[in-house]
Amino acid sequence: MEKCLICGLEINKIPLFKLLFNKTMFVAYILILAGFFGIYEVIGERYFSVVANAHASGIDPTNPALIEAMKNAVFGHVGEVTREVPWTLFIVNYMYMIYTGSGIIFLVALAELLNIKVIAKTAAAFMTLGLAFVFAGLFTIATDLNILNMLWMFKDPNFGAGMWLMLPLYSIYIPFVLFEIYLLITNKKELVKKVSFAILVLSIVVDIVEFYIQAKLFSMNTSRHLWTEFPILTLYFIISAFVASLGVMGIFSALIYRNLPNYHELIEVIRKALLFFISVLALYEIIAYLYVDKEWAFLMLFGPFKYAFFGGYILLTMTIPFLLIFKESKNTLTIIASVCVAIGAYVGRYLFVYGGNANPMTNRFGVGFEKYDIYDISNSYNYVAPHMGEILIVIGSFGIMIFIYKFLDEVFDVSKVREH
Amino acid sequence: MNYAMALDYQNCINCKACEIACKEENGVQLGADKQRIWIGVVEGEVFGKPFTNFYPSQCNHCLDAPCVDVCPTNASHFSKGGIVKVDPHKCILCKGCMEACPYDARFVDDTMVAVDKCTFCDHRIEETGMTACQATCPTKVRMFGDLDDENSDLVKLLKARKFFFQKEKEKTLPKLFYLVPEDEAYAKQSISHSATIHTWESFKPLYDTVKARRSKQWKNA
Repeated sequence: MEKCLICGLEINKIPLFKLLFNKTMFVAYILILAGFFGIYEVIGERYFSVVANAHASGIDPTNPALIEAMKNAVFGHVGEVTREVPWTLFIVNYMYMIYTGSGIIFLVALAELLNIKVIAKTAAAFMTLGLAFVFAGLFTIATDLNILNMLWMFKDPNFGAGMWLMLPLYSIYIPFVLFEIYLLITNKKELVKKVSFAILVLSIVVDIVEFYIQAKLFSMNTSRHLWTEFPILTLYFIISAFVASLGVMGIFSALIYRNLPNYHELIEVIRKALLFFISVLALYEIIAYLYVDKEWAFLMLFGPFKYAFFGGYILLTMTIPFLLIFKESKNTLTIIASVCVAIGAYVGRYLFVYGGNANPMTNRFGVGFEKYDIYDISNSYNYVAPHMGEILIVIGSFGIMIFIYKFLDEVFDVSKVREH
Repeated sequence: MNYAMALDYQNCINCKACEIACKEENGVQLGADKQRIWIGVVEGEVFGKPFTNFYPSQCNHCLDAPCVDVCPTNASHFSKGGIVKVDPHKCILCKGCMEACPYDARFVDDTMVAVDKCTFCDHRIEETGMTACQATCPTKVRMFGDLDDENSDLVKLLKARKFFFQKEKEKTLPKLFYLVPEDEAYAKQSISHSATIHTWESFKPLYDTVKARRSKQWKNA
């Protein structure tokens, strides 16, 4: 393909139609379309649902909208967010996307530092994939927040809040990763030689800081003991992110690099790393649940979450993959293990977020007659199923991820195998 | 000023007049879980004898409030007298404060698309000296006042009675004082074994220390 050179970057002169309309993009568009339906639904529920306050009922008691709102308040469902489970599938998907993406970027930087050649040759593609995942996570969280008031993040920042720290974090992190990708695909070899080592080390530092801030975000919620009593939460996030990332890298390799001459070598590296990190993760989970508040631990291990925990998380993320990749075998087994891990890690994030909210904070709705009677809200644990808008947005985020990767690949050929 | 509330919860009859008064006074959103204050109900039995306890509750306006610390835009803040409030115009609906609150005292007000919570009726306390829930309570469960005023009815009550807190182990230094019931049987059935019983003398120095640190964040409006 014809190329042009800008700042040492070879850019494909691809026709706009071919860039935007191909099979992969078509899949991405379908998923993004689902996401837009989700956003439409969420906006409708968040900003335009029929709700009323106590004053409205006094000021204009015959208003039909008020009557509808009161009917909803008494017999139906009011609003988008329940007070028992404020963080839901949005946060699950945000965690999965951001941590997996950052994990991929972190792992590639580590592999380059350790001079693992097969990863170094494909580093640009993996880093771009990681970045696409990060953008998908940010897309999810953007739909969860009240964007109309986001200006206050700049006007009155609370520098100590984990949530605020996300703003400078990703303002630095994303350009930094873009620069790393630039170094991987540029033909300015002298520049690369000079800065590559420093950038690699800095990359690892930035990745650790990122996971530290993510852990701070959760551990500041002092009353949610599942989150605060996980020993060294930063380390847990890094290890679990590595596992999810390796799963995604396995699937990605099978899709993009299956015809590569050293495909088996690539899969072998992923297999060994996956085997190591799922073993560490398994060990970590065992130790962690010895520390976690028993009220939460019992809900997860023996309570209503036990099927998802053992059948979803433990089986898919650890047991099946471990058995499949324990010994060097066919590449297919590693790919199956990767698929299991990618799904299981999502279940893991789901359990972490929903589990943190599972233990009720108050006896507001009682454990007596109110529990069995009119409200039908109280339970010995909290769980609120994700609504359709959320699910569609999650599907849309996968479309965003595919779109960003494919776009950058078509323009910059990031998936091309490069010698370093 | 350091506003707080004592709850003589033994007197609560679960009439929910306080919930209604709060909704009406503050124009709270209508809905079963859209409450700024509520009555927690716990049923149990001692040697086969059943009992029901009522725990009136709301935001504890903690001195060391984690909900304020986690808010990225300072929408959650300390107002005059250490009242924890939310500025709905600054709330980005991250819901971090709802996660941080140990008392489940916050909810999303869908009319404002922002988090809402108890304000200790700060718009009326200068005029009336009491919150709407206190004013309406038929059995005088609630006593609102200023902890810094040694002559206030609240401090006089706290000097005369022992008290405990909900979830003290979370170390947020709450300001809802649950008065130990004078009836021994009721005290036994309603106070958790893990609760620490305080007196005014034992508690005051701790609160003064934390107040000195935290009151720098208190705003005057």
